[in-house]
Amino acid sequence: MRRMSSFQKILTVVVLVAALIFFMFPVVWMFLTSFKTEAEYFSYPPVFIPEDFSFRNYFNAMAFPPDGRGGLQGLRDSLIIASATTVVSVLIGSLAAYGLSRFRTGGENFSFWILSTRMFPPVAAALPLFLIFKEIKLLDSHLALIIANTVFSLPFVIWLLKGFFDELPLELEEAALIDGCSYWGAFARVSLPLVTPGLVATALFSFIFAWNEFMFALLLTRRNVRTLTIIVPSLVGGHEILWGEIAAIGTVAIIPGILLALLLQRYLVRGLTMGAVKG
Amino acid sequence: MGDRLVVSETAGTAQESGVPHVPGGRLRRRGVGILFVLPAALTLLAITIFPLIYELRLVFMSWELTTNAAPEFVGLQNLITVLFKDERFWTSMRVTATLIVLGVAIQLTLGTGLALLLNRLGRWRTGLVSLFLIPVMIAPVVAGFQFRMIYHDQFGPLNYLIEQVTFGRWHGLAWIANPKVALFSILMTDVWQWTPFLMLIVLAGLQSVPQELHEAAEVDGASPWQTFWRITLPLLLPVIIIGILIRAMDSFKLFDIIYLVTGGGPGNVTETISFYTYLQGFKFFSLGYTAAMAFIQLIVITVIAQVFLRFQKRGRGEI
Repeated sequence: MRRMSSFQKILTVVVLVAALIFFMFPVVWMFLTSFKTEAEYFSYPPVFIPEDFSFRNYFNAMAFPPDGRGGLQGLRDSLIIASATTVVSVLIGSLAAYGLSRFRTGGENFSFWILSTRMFPPVAAALPLFLIFKEIKLLDSHLALIIANTVFSLPFVIWLLKGFFDELPLELEEAALIDGCSYWGAFARVSLPLVTPGLVATALFSFIFAWNEFMFALLLTRRNVRTLTIIVPSLVGGHEILWGEIAAIGTVAIIPGILLALLLQRYLVRGLTMGAVKG
Repeated sequence: MGDRLVVSETAGTAQESGVPHVPGGRLRRRGVGILFVLPAALTLLAITIFPLIYELRLVFMSWELTTNAAPEFVGLQNLITVLFKDERFWTSMRVTATLIVLGVAIQLTLGTGLALLLNRLGRWRTGLVSLFLIPVMIAPVVAGFQFRMIYHDQFGPLNYLIEQVTFGRWHGLAWIANPKVALFSILMTDVWQWTPFLMLIVLAGLQSVPQELHEAAEVDGASPWQTFWRITLPLLLPVIIIGILIRAMDSFKLFDIIYLVTGGGPGNVTETISFYTYLQGFKFFSLGYTAAMAFIQLIVITVIAQVFLRFQKRGRGEI
């Protein structure tokens, strides 16, 4: 490789540090705001570092709004919905992915149909789901959001896992089948354990997409179910913006995403392109 | 990230030789495959196809929830109104197109630049990439909230920064309330969130370009600039195109950031097609009309998705 001159090296470092500040600043700013008092976040010149790092905003936000359905409820609802969506999608999806990979059921068109459902504009799916859920009295329930999120999560899981199964050598399963294993046994005892890392990565991606989801949560819930992503804008709305409390909820809401960005390094390219690019 | 990058092919290579060979024959294998796929197929049928058919029916109806009138069949009326009489629809399409074209262009340029720098890095690369990727993984509504604080004309750090670097000569702008810059503010939020995604894809592509090619070019006396345009870029093209298409499809659905940062305003200068559809359906309650708009978007997305799938199909083999 071409050696870098020291000037190039310095330039590289400067640009990368600038980029790091650019990408980290909004997150860090929110994190700092979550510890500020009202006087601090409504001040000019802006206060960068809060005087004391007390958790009062977090405590307030978890109990807020005062009618008792605060951030804590949001945390609970987000957890329930994202976990259930993931479990359902991975259970059904891993079977389908195996079927598509090994038996090529339905051929290419069927696989593509599954992939294309992932690309629906959510706003197009929201209206009929809203009307149907209204009809069967499912609006404003966890189940409604789990179903809606599965529309996008299931195709994602199938497509990504299919890629992982495609990479497994056939010989192991063949050996298992010849030794008298059933198809189910070959799947459950041979293939599935071998794709465990892929399975975990897929599940985590599916979780984070459901966790970050906003439009369905906005349109299909009212008062009983409120995810964290719903609470943030609902507090921004009024004339008085409670920046400290919202920042606290926002900080809690992005923790899983940050953990994933750090943990899933190896699978980020794949997960974010649905396996179209394999890094 | 490995050293090798494969733009995946649709049917895995292993399958060319076929399904595991076992007694039972072809028929049974097909039966088994169907059993594996059935639960997912039924689920998708129930939660996507059925709602779509329901919605398709609505396209031809007039159904205003704000009046008590019963739904009524109006034929192509909704589609005709959307396409030929609704200026706001076309405005929102234009806003969306602007955000897609400018957004993807900026993200791709910045992302490629960063990827080229990161690619030359040694042990710092992995850690930096992870940190850069944080914006991609956080909820767009939270990103929107962050930028709402940053853009705040009175207390926001952005105007403060501007004032500091211009020595108090310029006090910055009302980034959200000023109709001339509101769209730009949205654009920058989107750029912040998605540049790292394109950076990641290009970086994955770069790491698959064989080092020998660069060395050969260097020996032949090519300048770094020539090497980039003549060798690196052509090799990266398939990956870049996939990245662009994914971003285009996602930007077409841009909603969360709009909802949080500007609410489509001021006026409707930042109203994207998704946001306008949301207003028609869930604020004005014109269900038939909303369904018509939803289907038009479905068609647009399907076209882009088809191009994407073609590319995935064609872009087989290694780069």
